[in-house]
Amino acid sequence: MGGEIAALTGFFGLTSLFAVVAAAFAGWMAWRIVDKTGLPGWLGLGAMLLTLTGIGSIVPLVLLWIFAFMDWPRDGAQGAPARQLGPQPGGAPTPAAPPTLAAPPTALADRRSWRLAGKVMGGGDVALVVNDGVPAYILTGAAAASPTELSLPDPSVGQPHARILTAVGRIGLEDLGTANGTLIDGARLLPEHGARDISAARIIRIGSVDLVLSRA
Amino acid sequence: MSWILGLGALVLLALAIGHFLIALVLIIPTWRICVRAGFSGALSLFHLVPVVGSFIVMAVLAFSTWPNGESTPGR
Repeated sequence: MGGEIAALTGFFGLTSLFAVVAAAFAGWMAWRIVDKTGLPGWLGLGAMLLTLTGIGSIVPLVLLWIFAFMDWPRDGAQGAPARQLGPQPGGAPTPAAPPTLAAPPTALADRRSWRLAGKVMGGGDVALVVNDGVPAYILTGAAAASPTELSLPDPSVGQPHARILTAVGRIGLEDLGTANGTLIDGARLLPEHGARDISAARIIRIGSVDLVLSRA
Repeated sequence: MSWILGLGALVLLALAIGHFLIALVLIIPTWRICVRAGFSGALSLFHLVPVVGSFIVMAVLAFSTWPNGESTPGR
C-alpha cells in the first residue's frame, strides 16, 4: 500500500512539475511573440500565467482573440518612419485610380526629384527618376509603355509590381500584390498595407532588386 | 461485453469532437496571427495535434524571424 501511495505521489509530482515547466516555457514564448508586435511582452506572460489561476483558460482565450484582431504597434511603425498615405486597398491590385497625397504643411518644400538606383539581374545598372510633378507611377518589370511607367527589367519584378505616389517633398509606395514582394528597409510591404510614405526610407527591394532611394 | 466497447468508442468520439472544437477556437485567431506575421495560416493547424501542437505553433512564432517584420527592439 505504501509503495502504491509513493508511486501515485511521484506520478502527480512529476505531472505537476511538467505542467509548471510547460507553463513557464509557454509564458516565455508568449512574451517573445507579444514583444514582436510592439506590445509589452509581459502582457503575453501574464495571459499565460492566468491559466494557472482560478480564472481558467477562458480569459487567455479571449485575450488571444483580441490580440489576433487588434491593431499592433508594429504595423503602425513598419518601415519606420513610414506611415499610411492613402486609403487601404480593398480589392484586386490594379494600377487605376491612385490615391492622392496631401501636401505637408511646409512653406519651403524640397522640389528635387527622387532617384531609385540599383542593379538588376545580369549586373546592369538601373536608375529611376521620380518627379513629384507626376502624381503616380507604375513600377513594372516590362518595358515602359507610357511616361508614368517605370521599367525595372528583372524577372523577379511583377508586371506591374508596385505603384509609386508622389506629393510635394514626399514619395509613397504601394505593393500591387506580386509574388516576389516589396520590402522597405527590410520590412515587408503587403498590398493590404496600402500606400506607405517612404520619403525617409533607404533601401527599397522590388522582387530581388535592391534600389537605393535618394534625392536626384 | 460489447456495450463496453460501444461506450468506449462513444467516449473516444466525444473526446475527439471536443478536441476539434477547442482546436478550432484556437486555430482561427492563430491563423490570423500567423498571416500577419508573414507565415502561412496553415501553420495554425498544428493546434489539431494533441498536447504539443500549440507549443509548436508558439515556438515557431516566438523563435523565428517574422517575414513581415517585427517591432523595433527596445522601443
